[in-house]
Amino acid sequence: MLLRAASLAKTYYKNKLAVPVLRGVDLDVDEGEFLSVIGASGSGKSTLLHLLGTLDKADSGTIHLDGRRIDNLPARDRDVLRNRTFGFIFQFYHLLPELTALENVLMPLMITYSTLGYWARRGALRKRAEAILDRVGLSHRLKHQPAELSGGEMQRAAIARALISQPRVLLADEPTGNLDTANGQQIMAVLRELNRNDGLTIVMVTHNLDLVHDTDRVVRIADGRIEPEAKIPAPTFDAVGAGK
Amino acid sequence: MYKALLCWRYLKTRYLAMACIISVMLGVATLIVVNSVMNGFSTKLREKLHTVLSDIVIESTGMEGFADPAGKMDMIRDDPFLGPKVAGMTASMEVFAILQFYYPSGDRATRPVRMIGIDEQTRGDIGGFKKHLILQKGKDTISFEPPPHVRDFFERQERQLIEKQARDALETADPNLPPPPAPPPSRVKVPCGAFVGNLIASYRMKRPTVGDDGKDYDEQYVLEQGHPIFLTTLSGGGDRMDPRNDRFIVVDFFKSEMSEYDSNYVYVPLSYLQKLRSMEDRVTSIQIKLHSYQDADVVAERLQRMFPGPLLRVSTWEQKQGPLLEAIKIEKGILNVLLFLIIAVAGFGILAIFSMIVTEKTRDIGILKALGAGNSGILKIFLGYGLSLGIVGAVFGTGLGITITVYLNEISDWLAARTGQKIFDPIVYYFDKIPTDLQPSMVALVNVGAVLIAVMFSVLPALRAARLHPVRALRYE
Ligand SMILES: Nc1ncnc2c1ncn2[C@@H]1O[C@H](COP(=O)(O)OP(=O)(O)OP(=O)(O)O)[C@@H](O)[C@H]1O
Ligand SMILES: [Mg+2]
Repeated sequence: MLLRAASLAKTYYKNKLAVPVLRGVDLDVDEGEFLSVIGASGSGKSTLLHLLGTLDKADSGTIHLDGRRIDNLPARDRDVLRNRTFGFIFQFYHLLPELTALENVLMPLMITYSTLGYWARRGALRKRAEAILDRVGLSHRLKHQPAELSGGEMQRAAIARALISQPRVLLADEPTGNLDTANGQQIMAVLRELNRNDGLTIVMVTHNLDLVHDTDRVVRIADGRIEPEAKIPAPTFDAVGAGK
Repeated sequence: MYKALLCWRYLKTRYLAMACIISVMLGVATLIVVNSVMNGFSTKLREKLHTVLSDIVIESTGMEGFADPAGKMDMIRDDPFLGPKVAGMTASMEVFAILQFYYPSGDRATRPVRMIGIDEQTRGDIGGFKKHLILQKGKDTISFEPPPHVRDFFERQERQLIEKQARDALETADPNLPPPPAPPPSRVKVPCGAFVGNLIASYRMKRPTVGDDGKDYDEQYVLEQGHPIFLTTLSGGGDRMDPRNDRFIVVDFFKSEMSEYDSNYVYVPLSYLQKLRSMEDRVTSIQIKLHSYQDADVVAERLQRMFPGPLLRVSTWEQKQGPLLEAIKIEKGILNVLLFLIIAVAGFGILAIFSMIVTEKTRDIGILKALGAGNSGILKIFLGYGLSLGIVGAVFGTGLGITITVYLNEISDWLAARTGQKIFDPIVYYFDKIPTDLQPSMVALVNVGAVLIAVMFSVLPALRAARLHPVRALRYE
């Protein structure tokens, strides 16, 4: 068991009105698993992902990584976790607009190392970034800024950025949500390949059922809880499902 | 590492940042220019005051002065402590007098002046006195002796006057009376020379336009070299004072560019004045020049102990001009407070613009936090941003300020020519040019202050950025 969430609860308050989003989520993620979390819009998928990645704090409940509790760590340690252990990709790519694709990919490393440390190994780190960009098929766009990239290219850069620190878990929040089917499928192919070849653990959140049929496991989030097992839609629907 | 990179990129891509830079730049430039001008005025003024006043003055509190100045100077020179510190001494006598002369139109001018008897041998080197004599400038020694051509000029004038008087007398004379006495002697007596304050001898005529020399006035002399003047003063010795007067001849003009001196002082030889006032061997003050002005206070104190009592007063020139110097200092202080308020206004501009930039960058802050950047890292990005804006602004501001200061007079002339409005009127200030004094320490201080203010005002937005909740920041549209 790599990642284990137990009875996570999170309530937002809007004008003193309590909006309970998660009411006791239990979720286990195995090492090397490609897990997808589906649910209606507003069901709390993103919220769950943020909690798993220590970007946010739950009201109650615990999260363990490798048997070590991580949700109550001091801020500094959680920063380190996000930097090295978790990789995030988002629906809107969230690249830094002022930086080139390559610089965006290097950003987690720049955060890891001190200025001197980074400077000392900049050559090696840069090679690593270029290799990863090559792997996601973006070696021809190193010097481009996000505004000069297509959506698919931006998402590839974002994936490369999430992978650069060799994280143990990739947390993907609707990675194809903003892409057309073809591009979406390419991104899915990249993720699947990473999962199969490198054994990368992936937790992907989506409301697009077309994407989930060949992930290892699917869970549904509804009413603030995880339903034991959702039905996996039959692959035959794929052909007609293009008009999502 | 990422902090520096992002800082740099934000600096390069945010045009709003230009507004911050410009406001810091203008503030710094203004401070530098105004301080340079203020310093220029005060240093120039100090210089002027100092040249006329000498480092230390021993003066009598009364008009009758004190006796035996030579003995006193010997005493000072022989003192083991004072002797080595003193570079030069001179005695002088100052007294009120009434000056009379004739304008070229023939009208008589009468005005009160301060008549000062000085020792030509020793006065010239004290306080740079001789630099202020228009005609003898550059000479080694000063002299009251009229040069030959002045002498000739005076004699010619004088003879003409005498002959004219004789003719007039002849014409109006009653033919029945006996003939007038013998004709005047062909040789006339040339009176003693005097240095007249330049503003007594001349006045300024406004020109309609600014000339090539940057001045918009002409100096019109009403008293020329070789013209006679009459001075009336009081005798000094005895119980009853009686008026004493004599004729002098103008040999030079004293121009210190301090209107107080230039419009009041008439210098004559000390010995002549002593004789005129029947005050042989008495003077009213001894001026002392030191090797190093740093010693002034100790020397003054020592001298006061040497010459105690109410009769003599010892003061450094700064003490003598204390109120004026103090006023300048206070004025400068107030001006600086006001100007720093201007920079503070620029600071609030930075605050506003920075807050905007933080808001604009909210999502990026969320991204950075998702990538593992800590609060302190985000804080440093924006503090570094403020610091670099401050530094860039200060550097450009220093460049601008120094350029304006160096070319201030040219700029002022150009503006005057363009607008027809005088910016600096020499008649008001009595400096020919706007004096400036660019002090490196002042420039450094202004720079440090500006950068500090820029950083100070970026602390608040930077703290807000650092405290942003990562998820909220990421969700921010
Ligand atoms: N800061 C907040 N304050 C109040 N309510 C919030 C806040 N953030 C999220 N919510 C609410 O929490 C609920 C869950 O949000 P979340 O983003 O996790 O849903 P989601 O499943 O990811 O939806 P989607 O599929 O549209 O991305 C939503 O109803 C949302 O309105
Ligand atoms: Mg979501």
